[in-house]
Amino acid sequence: MRVTDILGLPLAALWQQKSRTLMTTLGVVFGSFVLAASLSIGQGIQDTIERESRRGDFLRKIAVSPRWRVAASDLSPEELQVSGEMTDAKRERIRQAIIHHKERFGSSKQHVALTQEKLRELASLEHVENVVPVVWKSGYAIYDQQSQYTAMGSARPEDAACRQRLLAGRFFDSPQESTAVVSELLLYRWGLTDDASVQKVLGKKLRVELRSQWQKSGFILLLNKPNGQETTLEETAAVERVKGQLPTSLEKFDLTPIQLEVLRKNLPTEPPSTAADSLVAEEFTIVGVVREPTDDERSQRHDMLWVETDVILPFQTALNFSFRLPGEGEQGVNQAVVIVDREQHVKEVLQRVKDSGLEGYAFLEFIDQQRLMYLLIFAGMTCVATVALLVAALGIANTMLMSVLERTREIGIMKAVGASNAQLLFIFLVEGAVIGLVGGGLGLLLAWASSYPGDAWVRSMVTRDLKIELKEALFVFPFWLTLTVLLFAVLVTTLAALYPARRAASVDPVAALRHE
Amino acid sequence: MVDASSLMPSGDGMAIRAVGLTKFYGTTAAPVYALHGVSLEVRRGERVALLGKSGSGKSTLLNLLGGLDRPTTGDLRVAGQDLSRLSGRELAHFRSASVGMIFQSFNLIPSRSALENVELPMVFAGQPPSQRRAHARRALEAVGLGPRLHHRPAQLSGGESQRVAIARALVNHPDILLADEPTGNLDSVTAGEVIALIRDHVRNYQTTLILVTHDEELAGACTDRVLRLKDGELLL
Repeated sequence: MRVTDILGLPLAALWQQKSRTLMTTLGVVFGSFVLAASLSIGQGIQDTIERESRRGDFLRKIAVSPRWRVAASDLSPEELQVSGEMTDAKRERIRQAIIHHKERFGSSKQHVALTQEKLRELASLEHVENVVPVVWKSGYAIYDQQSQYTAMGSARPEDAACRQRLLAGRFFDSPQESTAVVSELLLYRWGLTDDASVQKVLGKKLRVELRSQWQKSGFILLLNKPNGQETTLEETAAVERVKGQLPTSLEKFDLTPIQLEVLRKNLPTEPPSTAADSLVAEEFTIVGVVREPTDDERSQRHDMLWVETDVILPFQTALNFSFRLPGEGEQGVNQAVVIVDREQHVKEVLQRVKDSGLEGYAFLEFIDQQRLMYLLIFAGMTCVATVALLVAALGIANTMLMSVLERTREIGIMKAVGASNAQLLFIFLVEGAVIGLVGGGLGLLLAWASSYPGDAWVRSMVTRDLKIELKEALFVFPFWLTLTVLLFAVLVTTLAALYPARRAASVDPVAALRHE
Repeated sequence: MVDASSLMPSGDGMAIRAVGLTKFYGTTAAPVYALHGVSLEVRRGERVALLGKSGSGKSTLLNLLGGLDRPTTGDLRVAGQDLSRLSGRELAHFRSASVGMIFQSFNLIPSRSALENVELPMVFAGQPPSQRRAHARRALEAVGLGPRLHHRPAQLSGGESQRVAIARALVNHPDILLADEPTGNLDSVTAGEVIALIRDHVRNYQTTLILVTHDEELAGACTDRVLRLKDGELLL
């Protein structure tokens, strides 16, 4: 039998039963459409997650922070003693609750701090490319007698997000140079409102003053101004002086002896610190001015090293400066970012970070969770589509069984004029395959056509809800997808045709020729 | 009944040689015999009529000779081939190439035109479309249906339909033509035309003819020998 006849005979038979063929094919079209659409958006979203997360290098970053947990070993036996008549289960619950209470209400301590030494230790780990401490402090930025209360943050010299916001001057050449980059807003607050003043500040000195709020014990004093106004440098200095004099001036207050005693008991025994003790100041050369980030740039805030402060210092300079504050060196920084050489080493490094007693979080983990979540959703959708196709296949099997019954005499005639069992089997299998091919193709076409309005709709939702402008399509139709859907549809319908085809092939020609 | 021992071994000149053919239906415990120990020989080019009442086993024997069915027991050689030893595929090829069958009820595929019906045996034999189309056209023209090539069976009269069936049976120039009451559904005039067509072809091409009929007169007029079947047995 020739190839043209292998196709021609089944096509003629299908054409003969147009309505039935159409209805059967529609089932396959629907199943293939759902399958193609779910695979398409599944792949598209995976691609989008990959693409968006690979902008920059944050998939190679691990955010590291000190661990603030309280363990049972940190508490004294007396603190952990649970007295009273109770069940062992309740005793254990109360014991755990005491530990948890201590953790939440002040008695917690860092097991492992992000000190200079610890940062160096992290940097020496295998596959670690760089360790960038994240320094963020509030203090006063003073330029030409003008002081403003503001925030100081640290940045890497190679920080692309900061570099692209440069209006004038340059960004840092090294992490330890004694320079600063300031924002145009800070210039404005200093009274440097003209455009020309942006260039004028370059090369000039900026003084930054930081005050430590850290103390082992004692008073914390803050000046709360009406309407939430910022405290000026002078006001802060005055408050510091009051705070320094308070421990020695308790007698001047209207206090009972008991109140006086309990306050003194909790005050430090060493001489009261002066304002100068808790203040560090340093001068930096202004080398650049940056503009405020745009909304689009702000969408990158999930980057662990995103900097949006008015004063930016090179990270090593910022670290050294902040560590000059009393207690800061021992307490360490609140966060550092470990940059791993390759994405595939992130999990290994993360585990080592956690093993060293620190908290660690890799964006890659989040991406993996997202991938898994979407994978599960689209696997579910694919299952539904597969079931739809299988239902369509049952319809095909049923229709073709009917067809075999109706064409019994025709099958007998074919056998009488020389058709072999194999040829008849093949004819019916090709009928099934043709339905799969046409149905699968139309389903794919429908999915592709629907992807345009679907893509526009999903895109508008993402823009509206997530403020992210997606540049690429969310529905993708790679070659493998087209091939998979077509092959799957053809496979399912051919398998559905197998039983009817075997029935057709096994028809007894003598009985078939007598069949009415 | 032909004595089996008197039959010559497979030799030249024989189109059909059957020895002790038995065909029964049902179970071995309770068999229903359609044929019982039938032995016969038919020479090449010989025209043989099979006469018998309804249920005598004529059609069963014809189906065995045409390779549509297999005997329960016995040996059967047709057109030089031992049918009991042929595989399904070989048997299909035998039906396509060695025998042509004509049925009382025409057995045309209603959805296909006269030309396509005649082409069918050549389709399964794998002949190229242009070649088989030409053969089918010639076969139909030979039976006087040149102007009706593209008509479907429903658009043809009984006589025309049977002519299409004859064209289909003869298109491959088979060694043996098996006709199962080919005029059973036709009026006498048309029946005469159909028989004339068969007789002419058989004569021109020296085709062996096995004609199953009820009609004694027809059997005597257009065959060389008449064999009678009764209750599945061949009468001498």
